[in-house]
Amino acid sequence: MSQFFVSILIILLGGFSAIVLAQHLKSAKFITVFLVCAGCFLGLMDAVTKLVQSGTYVASYKYLNVFSLDFQMDGISAFFLLVIFAISLIASFYSYHYMGHEKNAVKTGANYFFFSILISAMALVVTASNTITLMLSWEIMSLSSFFLVIYNHHLAENRRAGYLYFIFSHVGAMFIFAAFAMMYSYTGNFEFGPMDAIPDAAKILIFIFSFIGFGSKAGVFPFHIWLPHAHPAAPSHISAVMSGVMIKTGIYGIVRMYMLLDFHTPIFGTILIVAGAVSGILGVVYALGQKDLKRLLAYSSVENIGIILIGLGVGMIGVSSGNMPMAVLGFTGGFLHIFNHSIFKSLLFMGAGMVLHKTGTCSIDSLGGLLKRMKITGTAVIIGSLAISGLPLFNGFVGEFLIYMGGFKGIALENSTFIMGIIAIISLAVIGGLALACFTKVIGVVFQGEPRTKAAEDADETGGTMLISMSVLAGACMLIGIFPQLIIQLPIKATVALGLKFDPILFDPILQITKNISFAAMIFAALFLLVTGIRFFLYKGKTITGSGTWGCGFTQPTVKMQYTGSSYASFILDFFSPVAPLEEEHVNITGRFPAKTHYRSQVNDIAELYMNRVIVNPVLFFFDKLRWIQHGDIHLYIGYILLAIILLLFFI
Amino acid sequence: MIKSIILWLLAILLAPFFSAIILKIKAFFGGKKGPPLLINYYTLIKLFKKGSVYSTSTTLLFKLGPIVSLCSAITVLMFLPIAGCQPIFSFNGDVLFVLYALGLGRFFTITAAMDTASPFEGMGAAREAYFPIICEAATFMILIFFYRLTGELQLSAYFTGSHTLGLWQSAGAPLVFIVFAFFIILLTENSRVPVDDPATHLELTMIHEVMVLDHSGPDLGLIEMGSFCKLFFYSTLVSRLILPFGSNITGLSFGLYIIGLVIVYVAIGVTESAIARYRMDKVPQFVLTSFALAFFATIITMEFIR
Repeated sequence: MSQFFVSILIILLGGFSAIVLAQHLKSAKFITVFLVCAGCFLGLMDAVTKLVQSGTYVASYKYLNVFSLDFQMDGISAFFLLVIFAISLIASFYSYHYMGHEKNAVKTGANYFFFSILISAMALVVTASNTITLMLSWEIMSLSSFFLVIYNHHLAENRRAGYLYFIFSHVGAMFIFAAFAMMYSYTGNFEFGPMDAIPDAAKILIFIFSFIGFGSKAGVFPFHIWLPHAHPAAPSHISAVMSGVMIKTGIYGIVRMYMLLDFHTPIFGTILIVAGAVSGILGVVYALGQKDLKRLLAYSSVENIGIILIGLGVGMIGVSSGNMPMAVLGFTGGFLHIFNHSIFKSLLFMGAGMVLHKTGTCSIDSLGGLLKRMKITGTAVIIGSLAISGLPLFNGFVGEFLIYMGGFKGIALENSTFIMGIIAIISLAVIGGLALACFTKVIGVVFQGEPRTKAAEDADETGGTMLISMSVLAGACMLIGIFPQLIIQLPIKATVALGLKFDPILFDPILQITKNISFAAMIFAALFLLVTGIRFFLYKGKTITGSGTWGCGFTQPTVKMQYTGSSYASFILDFFSPVAPLEEEHVNITGRFPAKTHYRSQVNDIAELYMNRVIVNPVLFFFDKLRWIQHGDIHLYIGYILLAIILLLFFI
Repeated sequence: MIKSIILWLLAILLAPFFSAIILKIKAFFGGKKGPPLLINYYTLIKLFKKGSVYSTSTTLLFKLGPIVSLCSAITVLMFLPIAGCQPIFSFNGDVLFVLYALGLGRFFTITAAMDTASPFEGMGAAREAYFPIICEAATFMILIFFYRLTGELQLSAYFTGSHTLGLWQSAGAPLVFIVFAFFIILLTENSRVPVDDPATHLELTMIHEVMVLDHSGPDLGLIEMGSFCKLFFYSTLVSRLILPFGSNITGLSFGLYIIGLVIVYVAIGVTESAIARYRMDKVPQFVLTSFALAFFATIITMEFIR
């Protein structure tokens, strides 16, 4: 594993040099970006080779002579490392020009410092092979990303997002601690070893605890509340890494626990499918209701985590019901969607970053007409949107196709599996339709039409590394969409590494499916060329004139008359109003000469609404009564600690 | 294979003809003589001869809209078993591809509409994005039903040869539900009354028609062609379901298929003549009916057919 650790060291070195050389901003940025990219590239190569060779590699270090820091790289780790390093590589390349306008040298340096720590910590999380190492890396990951979220700490809103994230990641960590403590109480060691000693009921409880803990990092509904606040607050390349990669470490945790517990009950699959369906549908409904582009993308991550969970859940149900073809399709589809989502989500965040960079705003309803001014960004975002809507010719379709096939395999089985299959399929169908609505809103309102503000009108696109990063990702979306067989081995290797002893013959249908998808995509492309040719022929020698848009008889249109994102989404949100209550505020127009009025609307997240009502307010009330304990006298505080330790000694 | 390709070409060429039947039926109910049956060809030829006017707000996406929507419709026809014959292409899971290819067409129709900066087209686009979501859920429910019966996930397993008759034999009663559900989906997906009125005069009340307000000349012709093909696709599915009989004599099964198609188009015409378009907020309830029907049909198979 030495190559892995070398790459981590190079990344960290890059981060340190950003701090050390902060006074020479330009050169510091160049060195840092170069080192981080080089480290990520090295790690990426290592992960790919390890994944293809599908062996298991271990490394162990003693820490303080008490705890041993154990690392292990198997197929699952290598697959997640691949995603982490690939996206971090492109994101740090993107950051070179994105951070270019930054005047504050120390702030930029600190940002790169924590960014490098975040990348390393994510890599360590997915390679940790005992509970101590995992929790240590997990906490480093949470803390470093916390500092990245509060990058623009002068805004109160961002500080609030940071605190929210801080609390959520620690409450989540508490659940993971609880799960690990239960494991320890049965096995008596910290190793990720065999878990035969644990009774079945305890295994279920451990899984539920770790699902809550890891799920809160992944952004599973209803533990996602921090996500739409924290992700948009960070600089866009960080948002890309957080949304595209970091939340996947939560998924990794769930998969790892599933592997460790090695207990095949339908309960696990049911939990994942139901949680996935709820996260998926509600995530995209809230995304549709957002007015801020980056918040919309953050909610869409909740949706995609839902799709991934549905895929993994289908896999688990397949295993527990003994239907291995279903299991293989579900797991491979889920893993493939992890890979695909990291590509198109980071692409979309980078596009949003470019918009924010050039117009100074991410408010959807104050943009418009950007496609004419930002051709490459616009095209890249359109490709990303097509991919995230799961449409053929783009990569999102392939993963969803496999999950659908897995779900349909469940339809043929007995009742409980049948119902899970129905939930998986119907929710995927609804998510697909809603995602299409959500991302046509993004394209239609942000990139098409006429600019609604001066800022949108004056936008242009510069920043070579930003454009190259987006083009690379957009190209990957199309390439994988048309030729999925190029990368299908990666999720297959990850599925094999689950250690469920799948018969290699089970993977043949998947290879066949990728060939079919590729074939169908090429038919579509051929017909597209044919129709384009016919159109060209029909327009030969014709007069083509330009004119204003037909205003249905009205001759004085203004840009304000365009359909806004809010009105575009209102039809659908109305349908979902029980779960997405709309909050409106406006002054009614009265009299013949009405005064100026305003309108403000906001789609509320029910999880957030109820969290305030059910958890935050009672907890505040309770702790308000305990305020007398906190009086500021340090002597008594030390007394508390002593008392607590003495009391605990009775229990050991 | 050659036969399938010929049928595919015939389907594209004949789709405008069948759509004219609807106009004829509506004229009959209105006590009028109606346009000739070849009216759609005259319209297409007229459109193809013209030039175009483009709004200055538009981009390349505006021109891609007609191309991709027609392209998705004719791609879908390639996977369609016409008159019970084998389709040109078929693979396990082709239904998913077909549904998502139609989604791709919809994506580009919507973006082409949003390209014009027109509030009317935005409104149409919002509705076009909304109703198919429910339709898609209903379609997948129907697929679950078919999968439950056949264990296959391709159109040719449901609609070729004697397969359709087999469906009726194994689950006749729930299949009646499915036929109605399919018909509702057909009306919704193809913007027919009572979901959308293709002949209305007020832009505010349109869905599909308002989205193509700014398209003109050959572009509009391509869009029209695409919607004829899409309607033909859905009508073929329903026609096979209501007249599932195959025959060894090619002519006979082909004749039966044509009769089925005519019945479906007449049914659309009668529906359009007999009922008015629903208020926009009632439409989702209407579309949800198809989901409910398909759902009940599936639940019935769960208990009674094993």
